[in-house]
Amino acid sequence: MSEQTPPQTDQLQRTPPPLTAPVMELVGISKHYQSRGSIFGGAGERVTALNQVSLDFRRGEIFGLVGESGSGKTTCGRLMVGLERADAGQLVLEGREITALRGKDLKDFRRKVQIIFQDPYQSLNPQLSILDSVAEPLITSQACPASEREGRVLATLKAVGLSPAEDFAYRFPHQLSGGQRQRVAIARAMIIEPRLLVADEPTSMLDASYSAQIFDILLQVREKFGTTIALITHSLAAARYLCDRIAVIYRGHLMELGQAEQVINRPRHPYTQALIDATPKFGDCGDVPRYNALLQPERQATTEEAGCVFFRRCARAHLTRCSRQAPTWRRLEDGDMVACHYADGAPDPGPEIESCPVPGL
Amino acid sequence: MALLEVNHLSIGYQTAKGLLRAVDDVSFAVDAGQSLGLVGESGCGKTTIGMALMGLLPPNGSIVGGNVVLDGQDLSGLDEADLRQRRWRDIAMIFQAAMNALNPVQRVGEQIVEAILTHKPELEREEALHQVEGLYQLVGLPVGRMHDFPHQYSGGMKQRAVIAMALALNPKVIIADEPTTALDVIVQDQILKETKELQKEFNIAIIFISHDISIVSEVCEMIGVMYAGQMVERGTTREVLGQPRHPYTQALLNSFPALGGPRRPLRPIPGEPPLLIGRRFGCRFCDRCPVPASSCKLEPPELVQVGETHFVRCDNV
Ligand SMILES: Nc1ncnc2c1ncn2[C@@H]1O[C@H](COP(=O)(O)OP(=O)(O)O)[C@@H](O)[C@H]1O
Ligand SMILES: Nc1ncnc2c1ncn2[C@@H]1O[C@H](COP(=O)(O)OP(=O)(O)O)[C@@H](O)[C@H]1O
Ligand code: SF4
Ligand SMILES: [Mg+2]
Ligand SMILES: [Mg+2]
Repeated sequence: MSEQTPPQTDQLQRTPPPLTAPVMELVGISKHYQSRGSIFGGAGERVTALNQVSLDFRRGEIFGLVGESGSGKTTCGRLMVGLERADAGQLVLEGREITALRGKDLKDFRRKVQIIFQDPYQSLNPQLSILDSVAEPLITSQACPASEREGRVLATLKAVGLSPAEDFAYRFPHQLSGGQRQRVAIARAMIIEPRLLVADEPTSMLDASYSAQIFDILLQVREKFGTTIALITHSLAAARYLCDRIAVIYRGHLMELGQAEQVINRPRHPYTQALIDATPKFGDCGDVPRYNALLQPERQATTEEAGCVFFRRCARAHLTRCSRQAPTWRRLEDGDMVACHYADGAPDPGPEIESCPVPGL
Repeated sequence: MALLEVNHLSIGYQTAKGLLRAVDDVSFAVDAGQSLGLVGESGCGKTTIGMALMGLLPPNGSIVGGNVVLDGQDLSGLDEADLRQRRWRDIAMIFQAAMNALNPVQRVGEQIVEAILTHKPELEREEALHQVEGLYQLVGLPVGRMHDFPHQYSGGMKQRAVIAMALALNPKVIIADEPTTALDVIVQDQILKETKELQKEFNIAIIFISHDISIVSEVCEMIGVMYAGQMVERGTTREVLGQPRHPYTQALLNSFPALGGPRRPLRPIPGEPPLLIGRRFGCRFCDRCPVPASSCKLEPPELVQVGETHFVRCDNV
């Protein structure tokens, strides 16, 4: 494969954040929900939203959590900012376990971690002017004297590309486009200078030109404030663009974690490979390997509880081993993490090479 | 003469603030077995074009210029009853978010049977049922699930059912409006591949509407790029993606992160799309254009031919 792939010149030239103590750690976090069942009947079943998830977020890094809908990404993000409580495991912020926090410490925690949501149309109070909306966290957290508030708001609006800021400050949400609203949401989160910003699919409801703007603002926020960003996304391409490291999650289970380029260019988990196969390739993509890791149609298996969560859809699976024994979350030689029995030296047919769908590029 | 020809189509909506020019002088043609992708950001008029082709514009919307010719017949000359006849038999549409519009209290197979019987009242029920079985097989749905309700289907299954419904009357043209937008990539990929196969097998013309140029580039052999109601560039996928000539097309391509190739900085398009109400002079992209010519602010640029099937609406080419 290496001979056919074109040289990868990375033009982004971003310096990866230094290896320091993590800002936040998730240690063996599990979360279950009782599903409500449907209005047509059907008993509510126990849904595993997160199963034994362990992650660390380094200072100043942009970390991508990637997976399909229902894989537990939002649950993970909500947990990280204290909107949800884990059933098991620990959440550690700057070395302190947060379930133990009370009173002032808890308030301090809430200030240090902020979240922005997918839907910019619902995340802002329609009654509040942009100025009041963005100032609100400052007031709640008493982060600065009232006299400095407006100045802080205007500076933050400018930082997220809403200029002239004086013009935007006195508008109301309905007078803004989706992309502008999402920037206000980022301003609102950033104004109290959190250590960690969770961005839950911040661009999935926006058009390409707006999402590229939001991507750039997230990069600038990291640059300027050194904020750690946890980017939740279903798009591997977006994660590749923005992130230093990527974790792939499937039905609440971590599948693979590693340096962004490594996960994309050399995916080891069959599920990551299936996601890459399925993502539309376009533009200047060179030759793309095809992994054919997805089993179609999927297996009708009942042994799932004990086996690998991906067993039913996995073309690489060993019928007895994978159906009976869940793979452990383990570190490969190059440092990447993976949950698959066969990620190294697997019964692996190796990728085929598919040429770029737009020849001549 | 192509199967479907859209000539200088302009569409307006009456609004409280005046006429909203949603589509302005759009032309394209699609032949049997061909696929054209209409791509552009939300609000650029894609759905409006689809609805106009179906004769289903809302009461405040109307064609204010140009025409649509299907199989040699000018559709604007037809009266309402004739149009209804042709609609679905000749042109079917997979509506945006259609999978969420399935009737929740009616079995899915039954909904398709009903759609068939509405347009072919001469058919026996049994026969329609039999056809639906065939359609289920065609789109890869288990026939045994015909009698389930929509909530028992996954998103991918619902979308397949909607595709089956569009295929039910053997249309010559299918308009698919963002058919996979709500789906995860793996299911999306499967459905796109299957749709492509069905299209080839039945020699259907497809107009594939999407805001996502990466999807369109996988599915379609031709692409029309829309901006603020105008088609700014059109050609084969190879022409448009290989040598994008319109500054908007170039900007759009530069604002999508790609999965392959070297990591490149994205270049977001600054600013916001223009309002479509009121009189507009010149090129609609002018305010955001990195390289505006002096002439394009005054007069709308002409469509310039820059390749065999490659057209660009820009004064700078
Ligand atoms: N409040 C809730 N009640 C019941 N089930 C929930 C709730 N929130 C999430 N879930 C379930 O947990 C799983 C993970 O959901 P979520 O974290 O929203 O995934 P994602 O963000 O990756 O789409 C899904 O099966 C979802 O249906
Ligand atoms: N019924 C309507 N009345 C008034 N304006 C409308 C109506 N439907 C759509 N529009 C406007 O027409 C333009 C094109 O809309 P649409 O065709 O839905 O775009 P797209 O499908 O590309 O997102 C938009 O500015 C939209 O706000
Ligand atoms: S452990 Fe087995 S079933 Fe699971 S992903 Fe690896 S090969 Fe596939
Ligand atoms: Mg989510
Ligand atoms: Mg639309």
